[in-house]
Order: sequence, then C-alpha cells, then structure tokens
Amino acid sequence: MDAVAQQPELEPTWGAEADDDLKLEVATQWQLMWWKFRKHQLAMAGGAVVIFFYILALGAEFFAPKLFTWYDKNYVYAPPQQIHLIRDGQLAPFVYGYKFERDPKSYKKTWLVDEETIIPIGLFVSGEPYKILGLIETDIHLIGPLDQDDPFYLMGADKSGRDVFSRIIYSARISLSVGLVGVFISMMLGIVLGGLSGLLGGAVDNIIQRLIEIMMSIPMLPVWLAIAAVVPLDWSALDVYFIITILLALTTWTGLARVVRGKFLSLREDDFILAARLDGAPGMRLIFRHMLPSFYSHVIASLTLLLPGMILAETALSFLGVGLRPPVVSWGVMLQETQKVAVIAIYPWLLYPALAVIIVVLAFNFLGDGLRDAADPY
Amino acid sequence: MWRYIARRFAYMLFTVWVISLISFILIQLPPGDFATKMVSQMLSGGAREVPPEVEAQLRAQYGLDQPVYVQYATWIGKIIFEGDFGYSFTYKRDAIELIFERLPMTFTISLFSVLFIWVVALPTGIYSAVNKYSLSDYLFTFVGFIGLAVPNFLLALILMFLSYKFSGQALIGLFSPEFADAPWSLAKVLDMLKHLWIPVIIVGMAGTASLIRTMRANLLDELNKPYVETARAKGLSELRLLWKYPVRHALNPFISTVGWTLPTLVGGEVIVSIVLNLPTSGPIILESLMQQDMYLSAGFILVLSTLTVVGTFVSDLLLAWLDPRIRLQ
Amino acid sequence: MGDILLDVIDLKIHFFTDEGVVKAVDGVDLAIERGKTLCLVGESGCGKSVTCRAFLRLIANPGRLVSGEMHFRSSTNGTIDLAQLDPKGSAIRDIRGKEIAMIFQEPMTSLSLMHTVGDQIMESVLLHENVLKPEARDRAIEMLQRVGIPKPDRLVDEYPFRLSGGMRQRAMIAMALSCNPTMLIADEPTTALDVTTQAQILDLMLDLQRQDNMTLMFITHDLGVVAEIADDVAVMYLGRIVERASVDTIFNAPQHPYTQALLRSIPKIAMQRDELDPIKGMVPSPYRRPSGCTFHPRCSRRIEACNRIVPSVTELAPGHTVRCLLYENIQETEALQHG
Repeated sequence: MDAVAQQPELEPTWGAEADDDLKLEVATQWQLMWWKFRKHQLAMAGGAVVIFFYILALGAEFFAPKLFTWYDKNYVYAPPQQIHLIRDGQLAPFVYGYKFERDPKSYKKTWLVDEETIIPIGLFVSGEPYKILGLIETDIHLIGPLDQDDPFYLMGADKSGRDVFSRIIYSARISLSVGLVGVFISMMLGIVLGGLSGLLGGAVDNIIQRLIEIMMSIPMLPVWLAIAAVVPLDWSALDVYFIITILLALTTWTGLARVVRGKFLSLREDDFILAARLDGAPGMRLIFRHMLPSFYSHVIASLTLLLPGMILAETALSFLGVGLRPPVVSWGVMLQETQKVAVIAIYPWLLYPALAVIIVVLAFNFLGDGLRDAADPY
Repeated sequence: MWRYIARRFAYMLFTVWVISLISFILIQLPPGDFATKMVSQMLSGGAREVPPEVEAQLRAQYGLDQPVYVQYATWIGKIIFEGDFGYSFTYKRDAIELIFERLPMTFTISLFSVLFIWVVALPTGIYSAVNKYSLSDYLFTFVGFIGLAVPNFLLALILMFLSYKFSGQALIGLFSPEFADAPWSLAKVLDMLKHLWIPVIIVGMAGTASLIRTMRANLLDELNKPYVETARAKGLSELRLLWKYPVRHALNPFISTVGWTLPTLVGGEVIVSIVLNLPTSGPIILESLMQQDMYLSAGFILVLSTLTVVGTFVSDLLLAWLDPRIRLQ
Repeated sequence: MGDILLDVIDLKIHFFTDEGVVKAVDGVDLAIERGKTLCLVGESGCGKSVTCRAFLRLIANPGRLVSGEMHFRSSTNGTIDLAQLDPKGSAIRDIRGKEIAMIFQEPMTSLSLMHTVGDQIMESVLLHENVLKPEARDRAIEMLQRVGIPKPDRLVDEYPFRLSGGMRQRAMIAMALSCNPTMLIADEPTTALDVTTQAQILDLMLDLQRQDNMTLMFITHDLGVVAEIADDVAVMYLGRIVERASVDTIFNAPQHPYTQALLRSIPKIAMQRDELDPIKGMVPSPYRRPSGCTFHPRCSRRIEACNRIVPSVTELAPGHTVRCLLYENIQETEALQHG
C-alpha cells in the first residue's frame, strides 16, 4: 500500500502524544515504585519516623542531655519535668526544680514540684564531654539546663536517678541495631536457603521445606527463653548481644525463604530466564544478575516487615531478664524495672520506653506495608 | 486425600522428633548435669562434703555416664512409656505433675484466643474488604496496625497498670480469690470463664490484627476473580454471592494461617502469663529456666511444642476437608 | 432492519482512574436483531468487552455508565431501558442469567474451583425458576448432555479443576443456557482453547443457537471465527463502532479504512510472505485519545478534517452504517457539531 507514502505531511498530529507515551514506558521499575510509594501517605510518614529514630540513635550523645551511665543519687525516681517556654512575658524556656518531703511515718521521700526554683534551659548547651561518632571531642548537647548541675528529667528518673529520656535515646542504638544485624543474617539465610530450595528443587527443596515447617510450628518464644537463659552469666554484654541477634535471625529467616523460594520457582519458568540460560549464562550469574534483581523489591519489603518483629523479640527477651543485660541499655532492658505492677503504679513514667517501642514498630509496619504495595508497581 | 493426611501425619511425627532433640539439647546446655545439681543441693542442704564416689554413683544410677545418644534414648523412652519427665529441683516434685497442673490452662487460653481471633477477624476482614477505602476500613486498618505494633506483654503491662490505677489492685488473674485454691467445680469453671477474657484478648490481639489484614487482602484478591463475575452474571444478589464464592475461597488461606498462628499464640500466652503472673506454664517455664531446672523446662517445651504441632496438623486436616483440590488429590 | 431485541443508543462508559479518565466506550450505537448472531470485532482494549458487560450492568468501579440508553425487549416485562436500572437491584438480577446470559473467556478461572459443576449450574435454575433441588439437578444433567459432555450424571458432581479446558467451557455454556435465555453474550469464549476444541465449541454454540432461536452476541478479535458464525458484524475501534454491516459486506466490501486495514492484516494461506500488511502505528494510550476520529493517526486515507471532527454514523445502505468523514458531508457535520 502506498497511500501512506502519499500523505506523510500529516504525521505531526500525534507526534507530541507519542513522546508522552514513550516517557511513561521508559520509567524504570524503581521510578514506578517510588511513584506508587509516594502516594502511600502512612508509609511515607512511617519512613520519616524510622529515619528520625535512626538519626537519634546515631547522634545519641548529642541529642541526649546526659550520658546513659550518668546518674544522680539525689534524684532517685524524680518525676518528669514539664518545659515552660515563657517567663515574665519573654521567651526564656525553663523547668521547675524539685523539693522533697519525707513522710514522717514511713520516712519515704516524695517529690514535689518546686515553683520557687527555676532552672533555665536552652538549646546547644554545654554538658558532659563526649566524642562525636567517636572522633571529635565536644560537650555540646542539643537540649539541657544552662547550668549542667541542675536536675533535668524530661521523662523522669529511674531507681538510680538516671535520666529516662537520655536512656531512651541511647537505647534506640541497641534496639534498632539488633534488628538490623538480625535482619541481615536472616536475609542471608533466607535468600540462600530459599534460593537453593527454589532452584534445585527435588530432595534439597523437600528438606529445606520440612525445616521451615518445623521452625514455623514450634512456639519459638519458650525456646528463645531457654537458649537465652543458659547463656553463662560471666559472658560479656557484647557476647550476649551477638547470641541474641543470631538467635533471632535463626528463627526468623523462614518467612523470607518462602518468598524467595516462591519467586525462584516461578522465575525458573519465565521467558527471560530461559533466554539468559540459552544464552549460556552460568548458574551464579543467572541467579545474581538476572533472577535476584527481579525481586529485590519484594525482599526489601519483607525485610522491613521483619525488623519490627526482631525489635519486639529483643524487647520481650530483655524485659524478661533473659536478653541483654545492664550495662547495655535497650528499651527492653529499661522495661525490666516495670515488671512489678507496684512500681509502674507509683512511677508510671518508667513506661515511656514502651511508647518508643510502639512508635518505632508502628512506623516500620506502615513503611513495610507501603513498600510491599509498591514492590509490584505494574 | 488419605495420602495427603498420611503425609501430613508423617511430617508431624518428624517435627515432634526434632522438637524432642531440641529439648534434649536444652537439657545438655547448662554446665553440669543432674548429678552436680544433686550434689550442690546436698551441700546447701547441710551436708558438709559429698565424696566424689557418691557423685559418680549418682551419675551411674541416672545413666549420666553413658554416651549422649543412650542418654537421649533413656530420657525419651521414660517420657513415652512411663510419662516420667524427670525431677524438678526448684519445686521438689516430679516434672510431670507440674506440667499437668499448668499446661491445660495455657492451652485453654490459647484455644480461646484462636476462637476470639476467628470470631473477630473473619467478619471484620470481610467487612473491610467489601467496603474498601471506607471510613470504617481505614479505622479497622489503623486499629489493626496498633494491635500489631503493641506487643502483648506491653499490652498486659499497660492493662495491669490501668486496672491498678483505677481499682487499686492488679485485677488480672484467672480466678476470684475465693476460688484460687479451691478444687475444680462448676462454679470455679464459671468463675474462670469470667476472668479469662482479659488474657484471651491480650494474647489474641496481634493475631487478630494480622488475620484481619490477611482476610482483607485475600478477599480483595478473590473479589476480582472471573468466577465472581460469572456468578454475578447469573443474577445472584451481592450478599449471597459474597458468602458463597469469594469468602469461601478466601477461607482456605485463612485456615492455614490459623495453623501457623498457633505457635505464636502459645508463645504469647507464655509471656503474657509471666507478666500477669497467671497460674499457667509461663511463669514456671521462666522460673525453671532461670534456675536451670532443665528437666522441668525441657519437659514443658517438649509438651507445649508437641501439642502445638498437633494443633497445626488438625488445621491441615480441616483444610483438606474444606478444599476439594486437596481432598480429591 | 427486522425485530430489534436490544437497541443501544449513544452508550458511554468511562473509567475514572487515578491517572485520568479512560473513555472505554465513547458513544456506541448498536441494534441487535432477535435470533441473529452479531459479532463484535476489534483489537484488545477497544472496549468490546466493556460494551457487552454494560448490557448486564456488570461494570465495576472505577468504571461508570456515563450516559446512553439500552432498550431491551424483555419477554415478560415489555421494553426496559437497562441503563436506568440499579446495577445491584433486583430488576437487573432478574434479567441476568434468565433473559441475557453470558459466558466468559477463561473457562479455567470463570468457574469456581471450590464448587461442583452441578452446583454452579443448578444455582441459576434455582434462582430464576420455581423448582426444587432434584428438579434443578435433573435440568443440570440434561444441560450437560446437551452441550455434549459424556456421562453427565457423573460429571455433575465433579469439580471443575478435574475437567479439561474444553469440558469446562462446555460446562460454562450449559450454565449460561440452563434458563433458556433470549440472548447469549459470549466474550471471546474460544480464545483460551486450542484450535480443535475451538472449532467444536463454535459448532456447539451455533447448533444451540439455531435450536432455541437464541440471539447471540459474540465478541472476538479473530476474523476467522467471524466469517464462520456471524450474521452481522460490528467493528469497534477505541470505544466507538466504526462500521456495522452484514458479514458478507464486511468481508467483501468494507468501507471504513479501519475495517479495510484489519482485513488486509490477516494472513491468508495463499499469500506470499511479504504481502502481510499490518496496521501502521500502535493503539494509542487510553489516557490520550487522538482528537477527532480516533483512528486518524493510523489511517492511510485520512483527510485534513479528521483530527478535528468526530465522524457521525452514516447509513450507506440498509443495515450498513459507517463512522468516517469520507462518507459524510463534512460542512454539514461540522455545522452540527459546533452549532
């Protein structure tokens, strides 16, 4: 047909539209995912909170008014102070000081707010010296009393007069990194075992599947408890930390392994893998160059959903006293003090670490949920 | 179908065997053994010194000088054929007695939690899926997220704090004081049921939240399947259609989910009853672990896990009965 | 034209998605004659499936019936405008399955795998007719026999996943015909089947149609199928019917450039390799429909006005209509559209 050739000048009528179509088509997978993720407002908020907490954890020395080991025996169980912004009509933030009375009979100390004593506070104040990221020495803290000897307990004090607020910030370091390390080990196990299972099939697959089923059908908590409980008491805090992360990883890789296996199974039959195989791509290259990239997004999403579980598990173990031990400080370790209901009834601010756990876990769940939705942008 | 059941049954036996291995390893983990424990108990009981021959004799008596696999065989054999789980130092009783005393409560609470989860998650999930993106869907989703994010032991802690604050006492127990030490009777059972709902809800919370999400997602998947359109094209009303087709299909993954929530529930029950100090296995397991009273803790873990695996097997059977694709295999 | 069963006037169905509005059906006029077979032909995504689902009000969110009329001659209730009915109401449900039945493309997924074949057939009967279960079961067995399923009394209790694709599609047909509908809509019912099975199913459908004097609306993109079964053909492109005529006219004297191009693009056995002539260009993105006649960017016979003016329906001969500016008085149409 040469009718086409006769009227080529009419072409431009849809040229502009064609360009737009092209743009839609060349958006990469990651771009598409980002677009889809951006629409998920809760997930965006969750992501922001997660980033916020990791920044807190990294710069704990700076953000926390006190070091986590700092204590003042004079202020055991001091209640939280409230920040007041305006004094005498001017912006001059302060907190009230404490005074205490002794009950004449029980001789117990009770704290009262002392509206006579005013403790001026400020941003970027001098406090205890520390090293930024272990390198640069400084004593600047984000927030604190202008005179560093004044009491300053935004979330109250614990039984040794330590600052709950500062310790919560330091705890983020341990609580959030237990999750990361655990998830990394778990991811390795999940990808390798799930991958082997899906790729090789047959007997290997069967064995790994049985293993996963066994892991999934045993109530893990008592087993964790048991293993954690037999860790000798003379082990260092670091050793215990490692044991706990490995323990968590060993029991949580199953979910990811299932995802990876399923993906490998379906990918094995996919055309582009067949094409690569016919092209003579060797096995390892096939896995890492062609198969894994096609579901990175799913892996990332599963990992994000795994993290909160790890954080909760560590908190639970430490709370029960079989996880991390002082002087290491994590939210679970802090919550150990709250095991007795009588204690929380009198000093409810000791539950603040629980709030931190809930917020972080919630944020991770929102984030992971959004990621999972976005993982399949097509 | 019989082949399917036989295969699941074989897997179950295998899993139980692995569990028994894990439990046995737990016994072996702490330094020292039964004999050293005995000796140290004698010492603390007033004996001035225990000659090493006595310790060796004890070791021989309990077969602890045998190779490990023989010890395992003896241990598991005694459990299977004599119901003898060993002796608890901490409580100075046979482990089996303590297990029989505490375990039924753990399973009562766990099973009630399964029921609670089903009764709440099923209708909520369906409602959420059918009214996708409605206000109540968002509400349920949000509450579900909270339920997932608040670990059950924290929930227990918070509830306990609240009840202490408002009623002056930590009200959360399984029995009213007058029944606590009373022998079992109908009145005691009723009293227990009255108190049971708080731990049941606490234990079931996270499971409910995740199952609502599972059900919602499954149903949303099913609602777009062509067979739904076929049914609609026949003239079925929306409600009848929903119950007969998509819900029925979405139920399969739901039921298998129940199979694997059971272990989490049992684990949750353990920790929650530790916090609430309920007379179930939780506190005893923790206590025995802390004291390294390993025969007792291993016994608990073995029985607890075995029963859980049996529960999973039952959910497999249920699935086979429900799904013709498995039944007719 | 003879006895019109369903008269569709200016039907518009738009999908309101996050990315924009998709005008899946954008002004369809179609008259369907009683007792005849009408084939609706077009490329994927042209809106043919949406059109026929609209007859039963099966359009799901985010799709919406924006405007149009669909006058249906009900056998019991006189003429009903289907477009006015509540898509969840009882009026349309009485028509679904009873007066207008439908079969779908994927026999694998269009039947519920968790229910027996018999259960799914009986359901229709129990719903629309005042019969008891045993009677409905007998009817199901009878229908299975009619569609050529061997041992129907045994297969009635079988689950669909134990049947082959062809058998499932037969069961689907049995299900659709169980209440003797006046009209049967078949949405690409043979696409998912292999060629031999395809032929058997087509024969079966034609047979059944003749026996019951049923009206058949057959949706396909396969012109070979059209040639075999159609009385009338409607060709659809991007939400509009561009040409409608008897099957002879469509194959021997097509008038619309799209129909012509479509026919040129099918390979024939006697043809040389290089003679195959695909339609130039791609189907445009659904979000950015070309202006004027939507086919103009790909049209080999376009004229200057094509990107401005939406062609209207022109009757070339009785029963032969076309939507193309080549066949209408342009000034007149333009005056009409802008005035």
